[in-house]
Amino acid sequence: MSFILRRALLAIPSLFGLLVVTFLMIHVSPADPATTLAGDNATAEQIARIRHQYGLDQPLAVQFVRYVADVAQLDFGDSQYSSRPVATDLLGRLPATLELTLVALILATALGIPIGVVAAMHHNRWPDITLRLLSVAGVAVATFWLAIMLQMFFSMRLGWLPLRGRLTDGLAAPAGPTGLLLVDSLLHGDLTVFTDAFAHIVLPAATLALGGIATIARFTRAGVLDTMSRDFVQYARATGTPRQRLIWIYVLRNSVLAAVSQIGLLFGGLIAGSVVVESIFDWPGIGNYTVQAILTADSKVLLAVTLLIGVIYAVVNILTDLAQAAIDPRLRERR
Amino acid sequence: MDLTRRQAGALSLAAMLATAGRASAAQAGTIVRSDGQPQNLDPHQIFDVPMMGYALNTYDGLYRYEGNPPEMQPWLAESHTSSPDGLTWTFTLRKGAKFHDGSDVTAADIVYSFQRVLALGKAPASAFLPILKPANITAPDATTVKFQLDKPYGPFLAAIPIVAIVNPRAIKPNEKANDWGATWLASNEAGSGAYKLDPASYTPIERLDLQRFPDHFYGWKDNPKPVETVLYRLAHETSTGVLGLMNGSIDMTDSYLPTDQVEQIQSSKSARVEKSTSMRVFVIRMNNAKPPFDNLNARKAFAHAFNYGGFITDILKGYADRDGTPMPNTLWGFPKDAALYEYDLDKAKDYMKKAMAEGAPMKRPVEIHIQSQLEQTNQAAQLFQSDLQSIGINLKVVGDTWANITSNTAKADTTPDMWIHWVSTYFVDPENWVGQMYDSQFSGTWKASSWYKNPAVDDMLGQARGQVDQGQRQALYEKATKQIVDDCVDIWVYNTVELRGLSRRISNYRFCPVGSGGEIRWMQLT
Repeated sequence: MSFILRRALLAIPSLFGLLVVTFLMIHVSPADPATTLAGDNATAEQIARIRHQYGLDQPLAVQFVRYVADVAQLDFGDSQYSSRPVATDLLGRLPATLELTLVALILATALGIPIGVVAAMHHNRWPDITLRLLSVAGVAVATFWLAIMLQMFFSMRLGWLPLRGRLTDGLAAPAGPTGLLLVDSLLHGDLTVFTDAFAHIVLPAATLALGGIATIARFTRAGVLDTMSRDFVQYARATGTPRQRLIWIYVLRNSVLAAVSQIGLLFGGLIAGSVVVESIFDWPGIGNYTVQAILTADSKVLLAVTLLIGVIYAVVNILTDLAQAAIDPRLRERR
Repeated sequence: MDLTRRQAGALSLAAMLATAGRASAAQAGTIVRSDGQPQNLDPHQIFDVPMMGYALNTYDGLYRYEGNPPEMQPWLAESHTSSPDGLTWTFTLRKGAKFHDGSDVTAADIVYSFQRVLALGKAPASAFLPILKPANITAPDATTVKFQLDKPYGPFLAAIPIVAIVNPRAIKPNEKANDWGATWLASNEAGSGAYKLDPASYTPIERLDLQRFPDHFYGWKDNPKPVETVLYRLAHETSTGVLGLMNGSIDMTDSYLPTDQVEQIQSSKSARVEKSTSMRVFVIRMNNAKPPFDNLNARKAFAHAFNYGGFITDILKGYADRDGTPMPNTLWGFPKDAALYEYDLDKAKDYMKKAMAEGAPMKRPVEIHIQSQLEQTNQAAQLFQSDLQSIGINLKVVGDTWANITSNTAKADTTPDMWIHWVSTYFVDPENWVGQMYDSQFSGTWKASSWYKNPAVDDMLGQARGQVDQGQRQALYEKATKQIVDDCVDIWVYNTVELRGLSRRISNYRFCPVGSGGEIRWMQLT
């Protein structure tokens, strides 16, 4: 417990640093939020008035102190684009992105680890070579291309899966508690919503997972190969431990540490990758919201998103450490 | 056939997925539109094409533009008169118009709406702020509204349809700290239009739902099969929007379909493309304050180096009308006999030599800023780059955003050498184009980002703005436009043909350059 607390406390200065850097970067960029706020047809006087009204004519330091004071009270301000509270719109969209990212992560892990093990077991023979080729392709293929190909095949040609969105119009999303449709619908026993939500998430999650599958498979394969040459494996073989049990339990447990830390890193990567995926599949998450904020220089939104992703990263890092400690008792003792 | 339990489970899951996956058969009376939503829902804060597409459905104005080319129709007003000096404008309201809460639309509500526009001072106010004080908008009785202008303003009547009439009884209870209800109306609706917003459905840049308003003043007798429900479901990527149109899950796309999609959509059984000449000109701006663009011959060299024909025929597949002026070729005030700069690299080289003889730094690398998310600006810049290279001019294409560029155009030295944009129909008057683009008093706005200053042109545009006689105004705008074209201030390429994908279920689509055909009330469902 004290470990988690220590890690959480350590995250606070990092997040503050992140906030400072982001704040400065946004204000270095020439885009003037007052211009956007005033609208297409505004005169120079209108723009100047709005700049004053929103305190954008104050010195940078003053603006920053004000902002941090607000954030400390969990007030992230209003979006300049929609005039709505940033926190409301961001929290409303977060579950969609988390659900997509989690499903993609589960998919990537569930496929990546076995693929890596199988490849290692058939080291340098055809299954290994095929899987390695596929995993290079998985990292190299452009997400948007894959997404459109999947849409063309599964939505247009076969008509099996929906083209876009998260839920069919007319179906009501269950009321909480997590905001993750797959979880909430099961908790409410609503199978119609569950199937519909599941059908909607398949293509975007598969698109998002592809790069992750390749990464996890590569790290697992390397880990398994390394472990297989160790003495305890030789010993277990000599004593006649069944091969499947040896590989899928003893070897794997000793091999996935690197892959697990990759999974932690991947989570952040997946959230970043979801920007493209959300846009193509019209997935109502934070990706499209962020892109819009960049295009309109909506600084309050950009700051809040950066901070949110920073927090997610910190949490995932702590979870990764815990998972590694659970797998490898030696790490627990060292702590 | 014997199935194991696992196989049976897998099969039934596949069957369920297949049902869920099929494009939801279009619901009766409902259409799904995938074009953009406005930044927020307050028509007095936002004024752009997506807002018009929304506000024309949920709000009414005193007058409304209909048809192509657009003509003003009496709407909430029955008629108007103006004093000979152009200073006093009196509007008579029609009786029986109701807001969505059932209350009557009265003259006091019109006064409130215009005062709110002026007080908020956002984009829709720009036409009125210089000439109208809030106290000079009055309601002598329940059906009469009077505007007393500070000075005569030619485009006043043309700008009247900009102002959406809002219901103060809905807004006032939601005011916070003298904000005129700006925060509330950004996510709600307080109009009298043919459709009502369901506020709970609204998520910015994702979705909103509209329901037909049966008590709309215009009545529904002309439309036996109106659209009952409009679902805005934004398609963030054009490709997804087009696929949705083809599989029937989207009924209406935006009106800027890529030209290479037209044939594919036309050949489909469920969808078609509406092609409508609009009032939206494509301009490559030149910063006249920066060398070499401060030299007329240099500007002419650039103007002759753009491949207008190739761009329109090959890249746009012919879906654009060549227009060599800043004015839409369908609007009064367009000079039919203006000079035209054609694509001619020999002429470009000649002008380049002349410019260099006059000391213009033609060998300086020149930057052109594009709006990265708008592919067409990139295509135009690439085409331009290759032609300029062949005559020895080094053009650098810089990816940029609207927000960045329009901030940078506030000063001459931060305005890019060149940049590309469109000028859409904000109001139907030459003032919207040539007036606000080339009168030097507007320098510093994105529209006037050429930093052009010609006192003779300023004078003509000022005169045209200051009177109400359309005949005289037309002559002045034509003369001013010709002078601007002679001065080769910018590179004018085309007037837009808008391309909107529509389901074949929708008939009676009416296009108007104001709102780009997004007005739903005319549409009939078959």
